[in-house]
Amino acid sequence: MRELEYARGFWNPYVAGIALGLVLLLTFYLMGTGLGASGAVARTAAVIAHEVAPTAVEQNPYYKEFYKPGGKHPLVNWMVIEVIGVFIGGLTAVLTARRFRPGVGRGPTASVGLRLGMAFGGGIIGGIGTRFAMGCTSGQALSGGATMVVGSWVFMMTVFATAFAAAYFVRREWS
Amino acid sequence: MSGPLYLVDAFGYGTSLWIALAVGILFGFVLERAGFGDARNLTNIFYFRDMRVLQVMFSAMVTAMVGLIVLSWIGLFDYSMLLDSSLLQTYLWPQLVGGILFGLGFVIGGYCPGTSAVGIVSGKLDALVYLLGMIAGIWVFAAGFPAWSDFYMSSPLGRVTLWQEFGISRELMAAAIVVMALMAFWLAGLAEEWAPYDK
Repeated sequence: MRELEYARGFWNPYVAGIALGLVLLLTFYLMGTGLGASGAVARTAAVIAHEVAPTAVEQNPYYKEFYKPGGKHPLVNWMVIEVIGVFIGGLTAVLTARRFRPGVGRGPTASVGLRLGMAFGGGIIGGIGTRFAMGCTSGQALSGGATMVVGSWVFMMTVFATAFAAAYFVRREWS
Repeated sequence: MSGPLYLVDAFGYGTSLWIALAVGILFGFVLERAGFGDARNLTNIFYFRDMRVLQVMFSAMVTAMVGLIVLSWIGLFDYSMLLDSSLLQTYLWPQLVGGILFGLGFVIGGYCPGTSAVGIVSGKLDALVYLLGMIAGIWVFAAGFPAWSDFYMSSPLGRVTLWQEFGISRELMAAAIVVMALMAFWLAGLAEEWAPYDK
């Protein structure tokens, strides 16, 4: 394996994995549910749309589950608070390791413009994917995977099979 | 005390939000320490350069899976409560289609939702752009929802696990997954030697 300069200084992957598994185990013990992330993004998207067009959002058949009459604000939610924690915990880890490096992660021959365009396009496709799957790598693959949920395993296998197959076509972005 | 604590009303909603913040902090810290704040570390798996995504995710999943079973053996976790009321529900076809879209988004965009948060606080502009793309994607999904709301709720299988589906015991299923993980770890080492895209 070639020495990758940007991959140095992190924990051994198995140590990091066991640590992550213990955090997940603690979450299940306390809450009965696992970790998540994409639900918080969906709620943020709904709140931004609501600022622009409140009536349309409250009547939209998808967003209205976040805007139930008499319900709490969509951002007063377990997963939204958890993701705020992810930002805080991630920043703590970055600062304590002195690893804050502004930039764009891309392959050695890919341009910044190509990479940012792909990041936006990939975000759109991935965002739509999280809604159909009702979760992402955290909620479905990790949390559903650890509890052996059928749909989560189908999701996880499909995600990796698709990404390995598609990787050839976007190799210029990463090589 | 036997978990899941929230489901037996050991604490209230307000406390649960503090727990959300605490486990979120731990989650974000470990994701960064795993190297998941950089899109290159996340996508190198698809080019067989660095298999850390597989190594971290599979070992995390196995740790939590075995941990929950051991806790239930020693009476510290009520697994049946999980199965009856809090397990994720399966919607087979939408989750398969969601997996295809999400897999494309992962290798094209370079992140997934949780790791993009860690990328942003690492100073990565591409992580921020990915997150903005995801927000736009959710607007697209919501705008078109009337067209695919039937599909979105289709093929509901309820709260169902692999061992129930295969008609075997929970422990046997977990053992099979552990064996699968060990084989995947071994193959990951070979894949890094192979690195077909870098030759």
